[in-house]
This record gives sequence, C-alpha cells and structure tokens, in this order.
Amino acid sequence: MLNELCGDLSNRLNTGILILDNNFKILMWNRFLEVHANKSDKQVIGKSIFTVFPELPKKWFERKLSSVLQLKNQSFCGWEQRHHLFELSHSRPITTDSDFMAQNCTFLPIEVKGEVERICILIEDVTDVCHYQTQLNKVLQELALSNRIDGLTQAFNRKHWEECLAAEFSRAQRYKQDLALVMLDLDQFKLLNDTYGHQGGDKVLIDIAEVINGLLRMGDLFGRYGGEEFAVILPNTGLTGANDVAERIRKAIASNAIEYQDKNINATVSIGVAVMDEYDTRYEDIISRADIALYKAKNSGRNQVCLAKERIIS
Amino acid sequence: MNAFDLTEDQHDCLQELINVAMGQASDQLARYLDTFVYLKVPSIEQVRSEHLFDSLNHDLKATAIVSQGFFGYEGIRGEALLMYQPLDSNRLADLLGYEADELSFDEQMIDLSSILTTTFLNVFASQIDNQMSYSAPRLLSTNLTKVNEHIQQQSFNWDFALKVKISYQVTDYSFNCDMVLLIPEEAINNIKAVIDRILADF
Amino acid sequence: MSTNVLICDDSNLARKQVLRSLPENLSTDVQLAKDGQEALDILRNQDIDILFLDLTMPVIDGLGVLQAMKDEGINLPVFVISADVQPEMQSRVLSLGAKAFLRKPIELDTLNEHLSNHGFL
Repeated sequence: MLNELCGDLSNRLNTGILILDNNFKILMWNRFLEVHANKSDKQVIGKSIFTVFPELPKKWFERKLSSVLQLKNQSFCGWEQRHHLFELSHSRPITTDSDFMAQNCTFLPIEVKGEVERICILIEDVTDVCHYQTQLNKVLQELALSNRIDGLTQAFNRKHWEECLAAEFSRAQRYKQDLALVMLDLDQFKLLNDTYGHQGGDKVLIDIAEVINGLLRMGDLFGRYGGEEFAVILPNTGLTGANDVAERIRKAIASNAIEYQDKNINATVSIGVAVMDEYDTRYEDIISRADIALYKAKNSGRNQVCLAKERIIS
Repeated sequence: MNAFDLTEDQHDCLQELINVAMGQASDQLARYLDTFVYLKVPSIEQVRSEHLFDSLNHDLKATAIVSQGFFGYEGIRGEALLMYQPLDSNRLADLLGYEADELSFDEQMIDLSSILTTTFLNVFASQIDNQMSYSAPRLLSTNLTKVNEHIQQQSFNWDFALKVKISYQVTDYSFNCDMVLLIPEEAINNIKAVIDRILADF
Repeated sequence: MSTNVLICDDSNLARKQVLRSLPENLSTDVQLAKDGQEALDILRNQDIDILFLDLTMPVIDGLGVLQAMKDEGINLPVFVISADVQPEMQSRVLSLGAKAFLRKPIELDTLNEHLSNHGFL
C-alpha cells in the first residue's frame, strides 16, 4: 500500500523524476515529465536518454553521470550554470525569458548491494526563480550605473566625472602624458528657462548633451558638472587638439536648432579649455584654469572658445 | 566551558576520523580523476565565529569560493566552504574530463567542489554510521565583504567553526584548496556523542 | 626473545588500534611515535624489528620516513598502514622499500597474514 502511495505521490509532484540504468536507458519517469516533455511512455521507457532527449549535450552528460556512478556521489546542475538540460515547456503564466523551463537538476546514485546500478535525476522547475533573479540582477546593474549617470542627460554625474578626472590626472602625471579639460556653460540659460519653461530648458540640456557626445572619441569622458555646465576630459590631448574639439562642439551647438513644442530653440555655449601643465599638483588646478578661461569666454561675448593661458614661471 | 571544548582523546579521535576520510577520499578521487592525488595532513582548528572572518581573511588570496550545505542524521549538519587559489581553468576542465570549452569556469569550480566535498563527507559519514545529503553547491563572490555577509546570514546559529585545512595536490594540476567546515553548536554536541561512542569501544 | 615493534602514527587512536591488533602469540616490546621525526630518532638509536607506519603525519610524513630510511641504510620490514590506498601511492611506498601496504582500518586477518609471510609468526 505504501508502494502505491509513493507511486501516486510521485505522479503528483511538481518535480520531474527520471530513473536510468547505468547504460543511460530510461527505466522510469513520472507524470510531470510526461506532461512537460509531451511524449508517451512507449516512446520513452527502455530507450536511451539521448534518443528521447537529443538536446542533451551527450559527452558532458556522460561525464557528469560517470562521477555519480564511480564516486557514488550526488551531483548537480543549476540554472545559473546551464539554463536547462531537458527541453521541457514551462507552465508559467507570466512572460519569461525563454520558451523552455529553467531547471535545477540533481543526479543521485541508487545503490543496490554496494554498487551503483541506477541513477535518479530530479528535475526541478525554477523558471520563476530564474526570471526574478535575472530581473533583480538587471535592476542592480542599472542602479549601479545610475549612481554614476545624470538621469536627465545621461552624461556622467559630477561625482563620478570628478573621480574619473582624478584617475586620469594620476595616470597622465605618472606616464607624462597630455591631459586636456574642456568646460562648457550654456549661454543665458536662465533666460531660456524663463522663456520656454523648465521643460524647455531640460530639452535643451538633453539635446546639447547628445550633440557633444556625438563629437567625442572613445576614451573621452563627458560629465554634467552643474545645472547648465558640462565638462569633458580629453586624455592624451594637447592644447591644439583640445581647441579643435572645443571649436567643433561650439559650432555644432550654435548651428543646431532644438525642437520644442513646435518652436525652434537656438542655444549657444561658452567654452574654456585648459591643459595639464608641470605646475599642476592636483586635478582641481586644471579645473580652476579652465573655469577662468570659461569666464573670459563669457565676458568676451559668449558663443566662443577661450584657452587658458600657458604658464611659464621663470 | 564552551560546547566545542574537546578532550584530548576526543580531538584525537576526530582527527583520525578526518584522516581516514581524507585518505579514502583521495583514493577515490585519484581513481576517478585518473591521476595521483596527494592530500597533505589536515590541520583542524576550532574557530569562534567572530574570528572566522579574520581567519579566512588571513588565508584568503582565494580566486573562488564555493559553498555547499550538508545534512545527516542525528542533527549532524553544516556548511562546507571551499576556497581556491588562482586556477588554470583549461587544465581544470581537462582534469575533470571535459574539453576546455565544454564547461564554463563557474561550472568547473562547482563541479570540482562538489566532488571534493561530497567524496570527503560521504566517507566521513560512513565512519560514524551516518549518511549525508547535500544542497546544491553555490559559487560565492570572492569579495570578502560578501563572503562575510553570507556567513552572517546563515539560517542556523553557529558559534564555532571547525576549520579543516586540506591541501589537495593533484599531479600536474596542482592547486591548493582549503576546506572549511562550518558546524553549528548543536551539531558539534552530536558529533561529540558519536566520538564518545567510538572511544567507549576502547 | 621478544620482537621490538615501533608504531608510528599521529593519532593516539590509530596507534591503539594497531596495538590491539597485534597477535597475542607474538611477544612484543612496543614503542610509539607520533610523527616521522620521532620515529626516525628511535630507529637510528635502537634495534627495531618491525615498523608500522602511517602516511599522513605532520613534521615528517610516511613517505619522508621511508626515504630517510633508504638514504641512511636503515633496513627493517616496514608495514605501511593508511586509508589512502590509491594505486600510485601503493607503488611509491613499495618502491621506497616498504614490505606491505595495509588499508585502514586494519583487518586482523590481513595483518596476521602479512606478519606470517615475513616470518614473524
């Protein structure tokens, strides 16, 4: 009676049970598998597991099972290593990332008189777990990223950008390389906000960030330094190169019409450029000099690039 | 007097049980891996939970840590942490009998850990007339903070750890691996009861 | 004339197990060592007729003892007793001069057989 009960139970379990002999022939399976594999007993019992489930990686599987046979140890394969071994349909009502059931498989040795004659494979449906864990990982990744990114413009936020500058500064000093800084400030941004509202102002920031980004190389580091201020770190770049980049950006922004609510907004930027010199002891020094150049650009009529003066201290 | 104070006889008995388990395990492993396996004398230390972190920290130039829970009868259970020094993953795959690209590095670590842990614990269990079941092995981060968090989040309370440092040396594939068995207090009491039974035979 | 026996194993329990397994009709003077260094000290200074040797020991392990004995020309029957019976370990041990390899835990019959094969019974 207990046998009947066990048999009945095994067919009600939400876990697949597969029993193989040591030649990989299927001796028994349960209803869970019958239903999810969509095959009949006749097609399965007595047949090689590789015939019934041709999707199994044969060599890997044989090696895995041989450890169970020889060492009489149980073995596992979780969804995080391989999403699934058996191509079984899942029954999740929610949209998931795969057509097949995500599985945790356990391989158990069944000893008869001291020898392992049979192997039992337990197949657990972990599609939900897989789905939620994957989502969680994605969100965590995004969170980590968002800690570095300015939500509005997608440029680096100031904190991260400054960290980048600190690192680039050390590197440039250590390897005696060039380092340039371009600081940009939107001209008359307050007026823009008053005229078009904050949403208009935001649109301007977003568009301008896009334009700037499009003109940068791999390795250049673009950040939002303040409300209407941006900054770009140009590693391995000298004054001439930095000036070129700055001028190109200025022109592109000046000639770019920003669409907002059927209107065209024209914006311009003032730009200050500074390169690291031998007297710089901290990265803040370069920022100061670029800032001074920026102010000069503002006071000289805006929509222009100013270069920080070269320092020659005798 | 803490639960983990073993008398000299008890300590000696435990050491021998572990020695024998290791010996047999290395024999089984050698035959399975088809290579020579040399297990160096294990050192057994009792570590208080608050010192475990420091103790692991000291040894931890680990590249990877795999954790696996084990549970047997009579309340004997715990968690095994396997900590590895940097490994050559192509050779590891070869050692396990796979082609280099058949198995991701994570899978190799988990496979190997499962084999090392279960082989050893199965033999150990059989010597004390017990039988072990295991939870799925998990690869933990090598980030020390995360490992510590993991240790603190254990679902059972444990105050003492039995740190069994086993150096597995495998010919041509030498790698060092430390195995730490975390055993909760009530399980230690149960192990002592078993040890006392064995000693009584003497 | 009693037989001088040295039992070398780091475990007190294991030493006792060997002791209890020695046949009663063998008259013995037994000494115990808890690691390879102690064993070698005894071997160098005294007449020992049989050595029972564990492999896994601290300081100097079983293989270390066998090698030292070979190097120093200390010749006497060594019975290695170990849980590690992998083929290559056995062949290493035998090629270093051990006479027999016994698996732990010791079986009395096996032990008796080996002792009689080497003329001790």
